[in-house]
Amino acid sequence: MRKSSYHFLRVGLAITFLWIGVLILRDPQAWGSYIQPWALKFLPVPLEQAMRSTAILDIVVGLGFLFDFLPWVAALLGSIHLIVILITSGVTDITIRDVGLLTGTLALLIESSPLWLRNKFVKGADAMRD
Amino acid sequence: MLTPYAAVFALAIMGVNETVYLIRKRLAMTIPICPIGTECDKVLTSKHKNILIISLDVWGLIFYCTISISCALVVIGVGGAVFWELFISSLVALAAVLSLFFTYLQWKVIKAWCFWCLTSAFTVWTMGAIIVLSKVIK
Repeated sequence: MRKSSYHFLRVGLAITFLWIGVLILRDPQAWGSYIQPWALKFLPVPLEQAMRSTAILDIVVGLGFLFDFLPWVAALLGSIHLIVILITSGVTDITIRDVGLLTGTLALLIESSPLWLRNKFVKGADAMRD
Repeated sequence: MLTPYAAVFALAIMGVNETVYLIRKRLAMTIPICPIGTECDKVLTSKHKNILIISLDVWGLIFYCTISISCALVVIGVGGAVFWELFISSLVALAAVLSLFFTYLQWKVIKAWCFWCLTSAFTVWTMGAIIVLSKVIK
């Protein structure tokens, strides 16, 4: 990935994660209504508390992207978070947006992961690096 | 009601990213990349780079952080919406006037254009346009 495209993707995702975090804090119950009834049974805390924690996670991930601080950790957290959303919210009209966001966070994860981590999963990662 | 704040918030985050980049480059004593033109360094190291001893990039970071946090607080519903609306509008208006002045400085005094400074000025003016339009179209 070219360095400039990496930064465009990073800042774009930072804006998305930060703003979603703000919106969830604004109305946690409304965002909680996206969760499927079967998934609610697995929540260890009340829905509102779970949604507030989700908002804080989103803001932390967004700040990680924005300040380019441990971006691979932020991308890993963001990817896991989006996978959980895709599983627990079911297929709706807006599912495809989450698929796009997940692809973006995965691209950042691959691009920003340290070489020792990349070498663990991809054979010849050294040669692939730009 | 949310749309103008979302747009101003997004622009403020872009501003934070830009100013953090410039601060990091300055602290590392390296020259920032100048994507368009070649005179960024001339402007960024000119005698007009500071206001009250503090570097303009730091003022920019403070401004963009304040705007983004204010937008977040007004949307979450902390404090009165009228207060935040007035605060954000006043701050953006002040920054828009200052940006005009800094653009004039580049044009007539320093006689060089800096990509990052112009990007910041356009960011602030766009914020101003969004705020004005959101009030007109209400």
